[in-house]
Amino acid sequence: MTTKAKIQLLLSALPLSLTIWSCASISVFSPEAYKQAVELKVESLELMSFATMPYVDYEEEVINLNTELDKAFEFSKGRPDNEISTEQWRILIDEEGNLLGGFLKRWETEGSLSEMFVSEMQILVSDAFDTIIGLESGKIDPSEFK
Amino acid sequence: MPTFNDFVSTLKNDLLDFAKENLEEYKDEILKDGTLFIEKAKSDLERWTEGLATGALSKADFEFLLKGKKDLAQMEALKQLGLSKIRITKITNGIMDVVVGSAVKTFL
Repeated sequence: MTTKAKIQLLLSALPLSLTIWSCASISVFSPEAYKQAVELKVESLELMSFATMPYVDYEEEVINLNTELDKAFEFSKGRPDNEISTEQWRILIDEEGNLLGGFLKRWETEGSLSEMFVSEMQILVSDAFDTIIGLESGKIDPSEFK
Repeated sequence: MPTFNDFVSTLKNDLLDFAKENLEEYKDEILKDGTLFIEKAKSDLERWTEGLATGALSKADFEFLLKGKKDLAQMEALKQLGLSKIRITKITNGIMDVVVGSAVKTFL
């Protein structure tokens, strides 16, 4: 093999090996995860707007939403190298926390919530979803490696 | 016949151009996000304090919102951590492109 051929072989192998190494740190973009987060943001904010009303009237909707949120968390957890996004989901839906999970739990415990509290929590939860969506949309599309 | 020193010299210049272009952009992005978060936190706190004073928010509501802001800050920090990892991946890939490009320019 000539020197030129050796250099050509080396150069062609380098990007691939480096890409494999560098991609190990964080997952690539998933259109499904992105869509899931956007849809759940809309559904969550919509349901939250009814929290000034009695919880019992919306119990079924809350249970359904919690199921969808759990699915999103599990989907995130199941993706390789996706620990950061999964931790974001965990904080968002944690019943002991003070974002969406905690809000829904408080609604259940207290029966109904004040108007200003609900609207301010909608702002926080909206921003919280945006951190998940923002990270997902910033991920590298797998097609960029082809 | 180009020498290895020619390659190193080309590579140095190409890497410098690459760094100037990319690092400035990332620095601006991070500063913008951080400033925006602080400004939002300040205006939130002003509204909540007013709500507490007028009775629109209870003490429990106020505390819940403050803790919620702390949770949100954690999520924002995680987003920034993730985006930093993505930037490292992109920069690493970019550096490889520069190395390969410089070598091709010099030797082939």
